Amino acid sequence: MKKLLKPIEPIIDKGLDTLESFIHTHRKVNFLFGALFGAFDGLLRSSKETAQSQPFIRNNYDVKRFMGAVLVALVFGWVFPAIYFYGWQCVISKLLVSFIIGVFVVDVLWAIIAREDHISEGGFVSCLLVPAILPPQSPLWLVGLGAALAIIFRNVLGGVGNNLVNPALFSRLFLTICFPSFLVTGYQIPFVDMPDLHAFRYGLDAITHATPLTAFKTNGEVTSYLSLLIGTSSGSLGETCRLALILAGLWLIRLKVVNWRIPASYLGSVIFLSIFFSVIMGKSVAPPLFQLLSGGLILGAFFMATDPITTTYSQVAKWIFGAGCGFVTVLIRDFTSLPEGVMYSILLMNLLAIPIQSLMVKIRYRL
Amino acid sequence: MLKEKENIGFNGGFDLLDAYPLRFCNIVERIPSDGIQETFEFRIPDQKIRHVIVNLCPTEPWELPNWVILEHKTTEFLNKLKEIKIRYFPEARYYIAITKKDSEPIAEAMNYASNAEWMEIFALDPKYPQDDPVMLLKVILDVDVNFGQDAMTQGILILDAQTISAIYENGILGNTVNSRFIALSGTGLKENEIINVQLGTPIEKVLHNRMKACTCRVFINGPLRGREITDLSLKIDWAVNNIMVLKELDSKVIFPMIKSDELALTTNVLGELRRCVYCNFCDDICPVNLEPALYYHSYTRGEKHKARLYNLEKCIECGLCSFICPSKLELLQTIKECKISDKQK
Repeated sequence: MKKLLKPIEPIIDKGLDTLESFIHTHRKVNFLFGALFGAFDGLLRSSKETAQSQPFIRNNYDVKRFMGAVLVALVFGWVFPAIYFYGWQCVISKLLVSFIIGVFVVDVLWAIIAREDHISEGGFVSCLLVPAILPPQSPLWLVGLGAALAIIFRNVLGGVGNNLVNPALFSRLFLTICFPSFLVTGYQIPFVDMPDLHAFRYGLDAITHATPLTAFKTNGEVTSYLSLLIGTSSGSLGETCRLALILAGLWLIRLKVVNWRIPASYLGSVIFLSIFFSVIMGKSVAPPLFQLLSGGLILGAFFMATDPITTTYSQVAKWIFGAGCGFVTVLIRDFTSLPEGVMYSILLMNLLAIPIQSLMVKIRYRL
Repeated sequence: MLKEKENIGFNGGFDLLDAYPLRFCNIVERIPSDGIQETFEFRIPDQKIRHVIVNLCPTEPWELPNWVILEHKTTEFLNKLKEIKIRYFPEARYYIAITKKDSEPIAEAMNYASNAEWMEIFALDPKYPQDDPVMLLKVILDVDVNFGQDAMTQGILILDAQTISAIYENGILGNTVNSRFIALSGTGLKENEIINVQLGTPIEKVLHNRMKACTCRVFINGPLRGREITDLSLKIDWAVNNIMVLKELDSKVIFPMIKSDELALTTNVLGELRRCVYCNFCDDICPVNLEPALYYHSYTRGEKHKARLYNLEKCIECGLCSFICPSKLELLQTIKECKISDKQK
């Protein structure tokens, strides 16, 4: 790899240097394309800043790697399984629409209007999550609108580092309110077989309106746990293959990108509370393992609730945060007419994270 | 008796020895100073010393390794310590803190301690900053001191190996000690070396012919805890343990992901400045269980007085929070500024 890249290195380096000096000497060009160039340049080259204050050496780990690890985990966690189950045409087109509208149109426009000097890497993560939490047959404009809303909402609140709630989930909430019909229909039956060319492109042409959770709500039917685990039951595009999501999530925990306390407390409290309610209420509520493996719980617990900006900073408060998410999820699933509660629980706890954090600080330092 | 202590009051830290493996070649040459020679003199402290901690636990790869002083003769070294004990501090208790990586000195010291009631051996994790006085006191004696506070006021003396040999030479044998070992390392040097240099030699002379032809920056006592030297005519005194010369990488490097070895150990910050993403890296790595991001947010909001409420005085200024921060925030600088305004009040 190193040897392969060696001959082209000076050419790219020189090209980027000339482009950079050109952009910086022309104010109007800089105004329009400075941020885009900065993002592109930042992907290919390291920064030239040196440490001016103690400590004078720094670790080789930056936000780009942090976000890059999440992107890799998400690609293995939902993109590859979804391509197998629903065909590449469905997945790739949604991803393209989401990235182009979310990152390359809305975020670039925002950087121009708000005169930001760079485009944040976090946008890629949000835009990769937006198609994952929409139904497989949702129209492309819905995905584009979702990505645009996510990025606009995040930027309005001050960009990465200031967002109040998870942008991808917020945009899904917005779409649920505005276009409810699109979000309860359009669930596709996943393809399970050796794929031929047609199936690899389109998946199975069969639409269902029932996800395992709605099926349980309407007629008490419990889908088999194995099919829930490997993803052969219907659901949103990215949430079905729980096995891949769990493996990707564990990889992120190993890299310390994901804080293990949140998935542990979230999943733990879901199991605990669903056992509790099953014992009290019997068959009218969903059994524990079914609750754990259905809906967007695994995706939410490993990839959305763990978004570090929207959780608490204190490590102890992260347990409370995760347990609160689990509590709200089980409450909504068991006692309301809504089949799924992961989105609402994470959004609610994102908002509650701020008071929990300030309370924890006060308790810890005895203020 | 051997006490293996792990992670007692010490949950964070970072294994720098693994992250930056440095090898010193065995050349030990003597560099004479041309000007006035300075000599080492040991002043007996006024306080009554109750505990003596011998620090044989270098946790930074650029620090002087143990074998330079011990020369694989730990028993001989401990005999010297015994002489010092008889002469200067007969009533004190002795604690030898050895890094776990040095199995040979630990075995020898254990052997020695089985006949010596007056000393205890501690095998410590070689995690930075285990050898900081605050950490040593906490782990070995379970005494809480604040950063910058002199342990001497509590009757505790912390000595490193080289100082003990010097006290022995100077105090017991009566020889003049005018030279010391210094570790020279870094990406700006041709070779990593250990030199024996006379006190009072200017740094210029030591680094002459050893530096590579590139822009370099010179640090005394390591890039994490030490200070930067711009005036190379500064003279070496007893407090200089090591000199590090790092490449100043102030140009963009293409494809940094496959060149991590080339970028490591330079002054480059290896990333772009971003806003805090609350990733918890800083409080995971903090050896004294503080939450550095809280200080940063208080500081950026202009509430320095609030930062001081969050146990700010416990910070030992090891610099690990700035070191690890993926957003490349100057956390240590912020902490120092929060502390300074405290003094002005």
